[in-house]
Amino acid sequence: MRVVVTGMGIISPIGTSTDQFWNAAINGVSGIVSIQCFDASNLHSRIAGEISGFTPSAFLSAKQLDQTDRFTQLALYAANQAVEDAGGLDGYDPRRLAVSLGSGMGGFATFESSAVRKLQNKSIPPFSVPRIMANSAAAWIATKHGLKGANLTCSTACSSGANAIGMALDLLRTGKADAVVAGGAEACVLPLTMAGFEALYALSSGFNDDPARASRPFAKGRDGFVMGEGAGILILEKEEEAQRRGAKIYARLAGYGCACDATHIVAPDRDGQVAAMQAALDDAGMTPDQVDYINAHATSTPLGDVVETKAIKQLFGERAPEIAISATKSMIGHSIGASAAIGSIATIMSLHTGTIHPTINLDEADPECDLNYTPNHAIQKKIQTGVCNAFGFGGNNASVVFTTL
Amino acid sequence: MDTADLEAKVIAFIASKVENIDISAITTASKFEELGFDSLDTVQLLFDAEDTFGVSFDGEEVKGLRSVGDIIDYIGKHPPTDAV
Repeated sequence: MRVVVTGMGIISPIGTSTDQFWNAAINGVSGIVSIQCFDASNLHSRIAGEISGFTPSAFLSAKQLDQTDRFTQLALYAANQAVEDAGGLDGYDPRRLAVSLGSGMGGFATFESSAVRKLQNKSIPPFSVPRIMANSAAAWIATKHGLKGANLTCSTACSSGANAIGMALDLLRTGKADAVVAGGAEACVLPLTMAGFEALYALSSGFNDDPARASRPFAKGRDGFVMGEGAGILILEKEEEAQRRGAKIYARLAGYGCACDATHIVAPDRDGQVAAMQAALDDAGMTPDQVDYINAHATSTPLGDVVETKAIKQLFGERAPEIAISATKSMIGHSIGASAAIGSIATIMSLHTGTIHPTINLDEADPECDLNYTPNHAIQKKIQTGVCNAFGFGGNNASVVFTTL
Repeated sequence: MDTADLEAKVIAFIASKVENIDISAITTASKFEELGFDSLDTVQLLFDAEDTFGVSFDGEEVKGLRSVGDIIDYIGKHPPTDAV
């Protein structure tokens, strides 16, 4: 059974619609700025891929605003777009409509602000728990759109979005749903969360005065990832149902694979990454020589980008330099659980338009990163098969394969 | 703040929490449920009122608050702990 993408929605630091995002991405626009939403002066990393001008009051009542964390609001914004893009899901039995969403941190904005209040002996918002819980966004998407089937949330750190899309594929293949709203959402440009990543020396700290140059996957002199936020949502359906209702079809979701390193809680592992990509291709019934694009996980950490490069070389062998690779995070930073959902949208748009977006800030590559990362300028290339990678803390590796029809 | 001031401020505050309501429809006698607040909404309302009026709504007494006038009386009896 074939599964297809019939709708997309996105909110990101470089665009609040698929067209706006894609136009910025192919033009290499950076969305990294000095942090505006809190006083970051005591952090080493004072920059982020922050979404400005987001007004959830435009689509949520005052009561709904009180009951939702920012990550839920971002998820709802993207889901509303995606459902509309798909032409609505009213033709389906509500019990056959599922949600599969990824988020690494869940409602951490609420967690942090409520924790501060509690430590000051102040009362906390009565909806703290339903705002914080990781499945809050999925539940709100279901409530707003009347989706009464499975409602799942996957929290596998930075691979959450890819795992959620993979879980959606499984729901459709096993007959547990007819259509799935799938993707990821994250909103953790926050003081405690950033201090936590900083304590692991994971964040960039050397580009505070030049934010647009800070996220530089595969480049010489990169010094960590840049925190980001956003949401990406796909509408996934069985191909025959999508065709029957006359939906436009962007691409096919052909395969999904995941693998755990089972070695270290945060360090990346080449073997696990190879295993995930291989499993996704096996699942799609494809071989490595069919892949012509990779949307890399590529966070801009000194170690991670080298390990991913080695994993790609190991799996694709002599063909590795021929594959176009790009790093969406070079422009929007790392939106954790949303990142692979946004990377999937970039992959789908590459398949759909024949344009590969660039990896920006790649003037001089790290000698250990010696593949074709589409440096600085978009290229025109008709591709048939794209892989989106996502590797997360916990040793989680997930890959999804998209193809043209 | 005198009682008339406080009453006007509490009514304006409550009006800001209700969708599509004319402020003149809210009086000290208005009960929360008449304004469309269920029990959880009322808890949220009192939480928001804490920051706005610098009072702390806690203890058994809070469970008896049913109307706009009850909030005004409560704030009048409990001087601000943390004026905002």
